[in-house]
Amino acid sequence: MFGKFYLVYGFAVLGLVGFAQYRGWSLDQITQVKNIPKSVRDNPGSYRSVYSSYHHYTGGK
Amino acid sequence: MSSSTPPLSGPPKPQVTALNCPTCGAAITLRSFEHAITVVCASCHSILDAKDPHLRVLQQFQAIVGEDPPLIPLGTRGKVRGTEFEVIGFQRRNIKSEGIPYDWHEYLLFNPYKGFRYLTEFQGHWNDISICKDLPVVGQGFPATANYLGEIYRHFQTADANTSYVIGEFPWQVRVGEHASVTDYVRPPRVLSAERTPGEVSWSIGEYMYGQDVWKAFHLPGNPPNAIGVYENQPSPMNADIRRAWTVFAVFAILLVGLMACFDMLARKEPILNRAYQLSPGEPRDEASFVTDVFDLNGRTSNLEVLTSSDVNNNWIYLNYALINEDTGKAWDFGREVSFYSGYDSDGSWSEGAKKDTVVIPSVPAGRYYLRIEPEADPRHPHIDYWVTVRRDVPVLEWYGLAFFALLLPPLAVTWRSMSFERSRWSESDHPPTPILQTGND
Repeated sequence: MFGKFYLVYGFAVLGLVGFAQYRGWSLDQITQVKNIPKSVRDNPGSYRSVYSSYHHYTGGK
Repeated sequence: MSSSTPPLSGPPKPQVTALNCPTCGAAITLRSFEHAITVVCASCHSILDAKDPHLRVLQQFQAIVGEDPPLIPLGTRGKVRGTEFEVIGFQRRNIKSEGIPYDWHEYLLFNPYKGFRYLTEFQGHWNDISICKDLPVVGQGFPATANYLGEIYRHFQTADANTSYVIGEFPWQVRVGEHASVTDYVRPPRVLSAERTPGEVSWSIGEYMYGQDVWKAFHLPGNPPNAIGVYENQPSPMNADIRRAWTVFAVFAILLVGLMACFDMLARKEPILNRAYQLSPGEPRDEASFVTDVFDLNGRTSNLEVLTSSDVNNNWIYLNYALINEDTGKAWDFGREVSFYSGYDSDGSWSEGAKKDTVVIPSVPAGRYYLRIEPEADPRHPHIDYWVTVRRDVPVLEWYGLAFFALLLPPLAVTWRSMSFERSRWSESDHPPTPILQTGND
């Protein structure tokens, strides 16, 4: 019973990895935005990034 | 035994001897013929000398009122290891551990041509017991071991056993209140037992049986009592699974490496953009954001890697990125920081951060795209050089790491369950495992 489960589970994992690679999935944090106006190309400052309020680390030890 | 009962297998047909108890007059049946040394009257609980023509009374004991009858009634026949045996005797024995008595039951089985063997039952766990054919050799290590027919058995427990109830007939001088020191050595599914009485040591070998198999062998009605806990020689149901799980895991790990090599070879890793830029954060400016030239992404839907590198040193640069499809207006927005700090203190030299950063944008369809980049940096630094490199269709190694751990989970779970099973087994022994978590100062 366990053997069958593990075989199915293992091949499902491998299949998922293969599919993820084929489709180009990523684990990085990316935000999708729709309907960006064409004017951004001529006026880049008119676009406000989702991440523009990010607080930068200015540390070091 | 009634006259209609079919005879046990074998050539001559021995006859059951019918006698009467000299104490109460109840009928007594001798099923093991001349092998019987003592026989117990089920009516008045007199233990009688079966070798005496007058059935001399050896002992009379008071049975507890409401005593549970044997689960397998005397006279029941069943096939054990392919041979038909008849239940001719039953005794209840107990040991005391930390003042608590633990009862187990022994059924004496007889076949006139094969002799005696025993079935024992403790809290729903059964054992098929027979006398050892060879004398085991006990080792001197700790915990002690015993070697029987080339197999090593580990010492499990030594306890004083007391006989509290008997019924039927026995090929030895059975007595209620009789004491013996019993030592068990285990090698699941077998148990090797040494029973010591003054002047005698008898060795027996047992093999674990499931209640359902006993019920089937003796054609007993209903269901056997549920097994409680883990018994000393109970085979672990996970042992076969562990070997299989780790073997299959090894195969899956090899397949995973093969998959990784395959996708690494097939990945196009197509260079799309490679540009150097400079940021002057200290200089006054109207607008820091800019866009790259439009580039074409071809082929099937795939990912896009954006590598940012910079010569920052004890400094940082932050870039708001947006990958924008020129035709559809769809954008992938993300922010990346490149920072690197280093120095020297009382602990020695140190560093943190990195001078490059990689991000992978998932599932980008073919089309015409450009990047909008908005860099930021500490205004106290005059100039920061940075480079942006874009590649299409790159392998993402994190998936393989995740898959490796996902594949590892089932064998780890089975191994953990098996270890828990063994801990339960040995927690009842004279050599309990040390607790995983210790509390207090003990």
